[in-house]
Parts: sequence; structure tokens; C-alpha cells
Amino acid sequence: MSGSNHEVRRSYFSDDSRELACGALVDEVLEQVAEGDGERLNDHQQHCPHCQAAITEFHRVWSPFRRLADEPVPVPRRFRASVMHEVERLVHDVGYTLQLTDQGAIRVASRVVAAIARGVARRVPGVRFVLGRTTQSHVADLIATATGGRRHPDSGVGVLGRTAVIDLAVAVTYGEQVHHIAHEIQRRVKAELQNNIGLQTIAVNVTVDDVLLAPGDHPG
Amino acid sequence: MEAGVDDAYLVRRAQEGYLDAYAELVDRYSGLAYRVALRVVGNHHDAEDVAQEALVGAWQQLPNFRAQSTFSTWLYRIVTHRALNRVQRQHPSNSLDVIGDVADACAGPAVRLERDLMKDAVTDAIQALPPAQRITVVLHHLEGLSYAEVAAVTDSSVAAVRSHLFRARRTLGVALQQWR
Repeated sequence: MSGSNHEVRRSYFSDDSRELACGALVDEVLEQVAEGDGERLNDHQQHCPHCQAAITEFHRVWSPFRRLADEPVPVPRRFRASVMHEVERLVHDVGYTLQLTDQGAIRVASRVVAAIARGVARRVPGVRFVLGRTTQSHVADLIATATGGRRHPDSGVGVLGRTAVIDLAVAVTYGEQVHHIAHEIQRRVKAELQNNIGLQTIAVNVTVDDVLLAPGDHPG
Repeated sequence: MEAGVDDAYLVRRAQEGYLDAYAELVDRYSGLAYRVALRVVGNHHDAEDVAQEALVGAWQQLPNFRAQSTFSTWLYRIVTHRALNRVQRQHPSNSLDVIGDVADACAGPAVRLERDLMKDAVTDAIQALPPAQRITVVLHHLEGLSYAEVAAVTDSSVAAVRSHLFRARRTLGVALQQWR
């Protein structure tokens, strides 16, 4: 902190000083710099040592804010999971598969079945988006409450023992063979759930209810 | 696989009850919610609470979202309102760790010390602003929202935003000049 700079500071920001020595308003010059326009000098500023000194000083003063704006702010680990846990708690998903073995019972939450089904379906070529949710009535009621009654009527996952009924709503890319994509989703989801979870009877209902342009394509 | 699906599509499906559509929105906007909360409330613990409350609250309020604004603008509004409530309930903390803890392995001890001092000066200066000025500074100068967008988020006018920023910049200028 030099003595000359200290003098400049007092003159710029003391309570009774709203103008530079040339009459330019301090706040307007500071705004100019803060808005990133400090390099674009007007006719007066190009020939005014007071304005140029102020702009130089304000660049120094404001530089920490530029750095702050550019600094990444990492989101805490598990934050997203924590948010969705709370959201899911609101709809209270309690459905489970049940498989009895000699060693005991194996239960898999229906949301896990749904997640696996969605994950498999998403990897089918031509599929752009996949959605699914449980269809248990009390869950549907809670969702209806939370969403004002606006919900999709026929998409979900129901499980009972080693039987699962899975409804998936999918969006596909315009121009793809829709029936081929739907058949491929059914085949892959059924195979995955049989091999991965040990389900025996599986119905996979596919509703193609959106067609989206390929990324980069524009209407017309 | 989900490239090209815009926010409006996800909002509409989330309003229909699809949790995974909302999960995608949470993926996209967790950073925004947490960053704004941190810069307004001033500490990581409260910021995480505020951001989570905002995103869960947004899910509960989805039926009221009428797409008159973008989802991001709507979320900015929810986060800033909840952050404002939080700061008005608490005493100012001594540390506003808004820059984060990203280490610069190339920086020497003197540079790191300089940056720590600068960080403290900036964060203390922001922390000392009245809440309304603090929010306008965060939204405009740190988040890059226009005056009109800040006015929309804060339910105020462009003139009020401009006034807040004028006063805030002067206060910040005084604080940082004294530090330098």
C-alpha cells in the first residue's frame, strides 16, 4: 500500500466525494469497470488523466470479483443423491420383489428394477429419453398431490414376488423405426432383469409418446 | 442418450409425476443452486441446506410453475428467497468461503498467502453488504444475470436493481481499497 495510492483511495471513495476532479461521477466510472467496459474509453476519458487513473485503480479493486466469478464452486459429494432421496421420500416408494431361497429371502426394491430397466432402455439405439415410475396407488396419490394431479396415467413398475410388470415411456429420434426400437427395448430389458435380478415373469410395456429431432437438427 | 432434451420437456414430464425427469433437472441445476446459496449465506453447511431445501421445494411447487419464465430463473428465485430467509435468521459468520478450496498446486507460498488475503477481503466485503445488495451483486456480478433478469428473480424493478448495485459497488470499493 503506497502513500500515493492511499491518497487516490480517499479521493475516490470518501463519503463527500461523488465526483472525480474532472467532474466525472465516481459511481459511473466504477460501474463501467465492473461491467467490463473499462477498456472502452469515451472521448473525455481518452484525454483525462483523472478518469484514466480512476479506471486503472478500479480495475485493481474489482479484479478479485472477476476472479471470484470465474472460480468453480464444487457441489458437495452426494448432494444430488441427498436431494433425490428427499424427493423420493415424499412419494415413499416401498415396493419390493421377493425371491425365497434355501438361505432366506431376497428383496429388490421396485425402484431398482425400474432403474435397471431404464438404464437398459436408454442404451437402445434411437432412444432419446426413458421415463418410468411405480404404479402403486398410494404412491400415485402422493405424486398426484405433489404435482396437482397432472401425471402420466400409464407408466410405471409393478412387482410381486418374481413377477414384474414394467411400463416405460420413451422418446425416440425422428426417422427411426419405432416398432423395431420398442421390440428391442422389450427384449433387452427382459433379458437383463432375468439375468441380473432373477425375475421369472416379466412384462415390458413400451409407450412411445414423443418423437424428437436428432441433436443438431432444426425444424424446417 | 439424453442430448437435445431441453428443460421445458423435463419440467413438463416432472409435472406429470416422473421422478427421473426431475432427477435430470437436479443434475443440471445442483451447481447453480449450491453456488448461489453459498455466495449468499456465506458458509458451506448452510449453503447445502438452503440448496437442498430449494430443490426439494421446487419439486413440491412444480404444479405452480407455468413456464412464464425459464426453469433456471424460477430456481434462482426459490434459492435466493430461501437464502435470504436463512441470512435474516442468523448472525453474520466470520468466514464467507465463497471461492472454495480449489488448490493451485503451481502457486508458491507467497502467492497462496496473497490469494488467501484477497479471498478473505472479498468474502468479508460481500458478507458485510445488506442482504438485498448482496443478492443483486451475486446474481449480476457473479452469476452474470442482466439487470432485468435480476429484477425478475427478486421481484423488483430494474431501477431498484441499479440502485442496489450502485450502493453495493461503492461499499465494496471502500472495503477492498482499504485492504489493498
